Amino acid sequence: MSGMARPKGTLSTLYAGNRHVFRLVAVILAWMVFMALTRFEKFYTLINFQTMASQFPEFGLMALGVMLCMVTGGIDLSTVGIANLAAILTAFFLKAVALPDGGLPAYAIPAAFALAMAVGAVLGVFNGLLVSKVRIPPILATLGASELFTGVAIVLTNGNAVSKLPIGYATAINSKVLGNLIPVQLIVFTAVALVIWFLLNRTTYGVKIYLLGTNATAARFSGLSNDRLLVKTYMLSGICAALGGMIMLANYNSARANYGSVYVLQCILIVVLGGVSPAGGKGRISGVVLAIFLLRLLETGINRFPQISSYYISLIWGGVLLLVMVLDYFSDYSAGRRLKRRPATPAP
Amino acid sequence: MRKLLALLLAAALTLSLGAALAQENWEIVVVPKDASNPWFVRMKVGVDEYAKETGLNLYQKGTPEIDATLQAQLVQDLIAQGVDAICVVPVNPESLEPVLKQAMDAGIVVIAHEGASLTNVNYDIEAFSNSGYGAFIMDNLAEAMGGEGLYTTMVAHVTNASHNEWADGGVARQKEAYPNMTLLEAEPRVESEDNGDVAYNKAKELFKKYPDLKGIMGTSSYDAPGIARAIEELGLQGKVFTSGTGMPAANKAILDSGIVKSLTLWDPALAGKAMAALAVKVLKGEEITAPVDLGVEGYTALTFKAGSDKVLEGQGWVVITKDNVDSFGF
Repeated sequence: MSGMARPKGTLSTLYAGNRHVFRLVAVILAWMVFMALTRFEKFYTLINFQTMASQFPEFGLMALGVMLCMVTGGIDLSTVGIANLAAILTAFFLKAVALPDGGLPAYAIPAAFALAMAVGAVLGVFNGLLVSKVRIPPILATLGASELFTGVAIVLTNGNAVSKLPIGYATAINSKVLGNLIPVQLIVFTAVALVIWFLLNRTTYGVKIYLLGTNATAARFSGLSNDRLLVKTYMLSGICAALGGMIMLANYNSARANYGSVYVLQCILIVVLGGVSPAGGKGRISGVVLAIFLLRLLETGINRFPQISSYYISLIWGGVLLLVMVLDYFSDYSAGRRLKRRPATPAP
Repeated sequence: MRKLLALLLAAALTLSLGAALAQENWEIVVVPKDASNPWFVRMKVGVDEYAKETGLNLYQKGTPEIDATLQAQLVQDLIAQGVDAICVVPVNPESLEPVLKQAMDAGIVVIAHEGASLTNVNYDIEAFSNSGYGAFIMDNLAEAMGGEGLYTTMVAHVTNASHNEWADGGVARQKEAYPNMTLLEAEPRVESEDNGDVAYNKAKELFKKYPDLKGIMGTSSYDAPGIARAIEELGLQGKVFTSGTGMPAANKAILDSGIVKSLTLWDPALAGKAMAALAVKVLKGEEITAPVDLGVEGYTALTFKAGSDKVLEGQGWVVITKDNVDSFGF
């Protein structure tokens, strides 16, 4: 941001660099105040926040993957397909290794996570190859892959749910740690979010994919291997999606080819609301994480009003998305005007 | 001493009044598969009506679309909110089990409908037993046929458990109550594949092949309407008959024209009321012993399904004729 020519103190610098994030915080605070005024005793309870913290990781993890793809200028529509396929395969694995008394051997849970992440990585690499080597536009490649993965999942299960899993896995993920306070789902989400933050902000991989998303041609002439970067990115997205599938497997103690089908579009909305440009090259993980919180707060908040039909969730969600984008447009517009005016003044 | 007694009495009265007030403050939520499907819009009509009649804090809340994950999250939100009873029509029983267990652990009363396989519920209400519903369809068919003649049965697939139990129930009812009717032994059970066109073609074929055939009992909601088209096209109206499951609005034309005298169904509005009534009974701590009377039409003598202490079956079937076809709203 070169508009920072006039130093105005750290706070305004911070604001100028994180306009979008501040705006999301403002919307979240406004909603929290509204809930405090209308439904304080039913919303501000420990169990309510614990419930929300166990609910958002499943789609939050998928959204983190979609974010990476969108930074490169692509998209991943196959997250839910990968999540379900990984969850189904893991469910088969857990059933296979279960002890005769219904318990699980000690290695089962780490092995299950390793298996799911491997499945996610393989499917993600498949997506990445379609996008980079075969040069199918990401939206079509991942849509096709999504159908394919879901189809395989249906064939594997005959469309039924895989249930009657050994209860040990669901119990482990559904429990709370640190004095029965923090849901395990939240720990998984936080760990993945930190890894992605690190990759984007502290490694060359991050710098490269922002460059790739900004201008693929420039990236290629700068000596970057675009194809490898894309394969890596879709692989990471696949791993995130598979972890989301693992959380779903625990939350519903079963896996099925059509679980979470609403999450495909929801993830894209979250990522765009989080300030990631669909054209690529722009976006912060903090924005996406805030957008994930905001969605859950809105949905849970609305569920506190018996009279309000659930249709309004889509309506309010769409309204918030458009509101934030309109606010963005006006602030970018005014920032753009300031930028343009400055070089114009010294002209003859 | 008298003063103390009076004081105690007053305290007891206040307490019981408080308890009575608390009863009225029970929060009971009905969670359907979704909010926009006409079937569940009809259920909401019943739930709202029951809330008005009884003054209960009772309401229906559904997700914007039919999705197992959304439904589970809605139920989790309701648990966190601390409602007293949850009545649910599960999208997918398996995915709801762990969530319903959380509800039961939190001391919330859980009543299900069309979820006979669920274990983490206080009770599950089914509108009827499969054989009872089959007998009811047979009664309707027999009435149209005048209690005599050759008939056969149609199911979606011979592998479909509930349809075949209905058909078996119908045949058993005929053997017991309508001695002048006979089952077409050559083809006692035909398949419609849950498809109106297949039902239509199958019926045309049957009527041509067996000129004596006087009636077909339908089970899937595509059967009777498909058979009715065949009857109309072959000009057999008034000579051959059908009855079976059917949705009201979609079949208004064939009921109005008299090709089909009656269709059978169960009313989601009554099922919604029955769930709420049972939730209140459980909250009050009443003992649930068969036959259970919920004070809702068709749910006045519920009995436990054989071998289960959770699944209750009613007589909640309704008959749809040209006179009441417009009253359902779906």
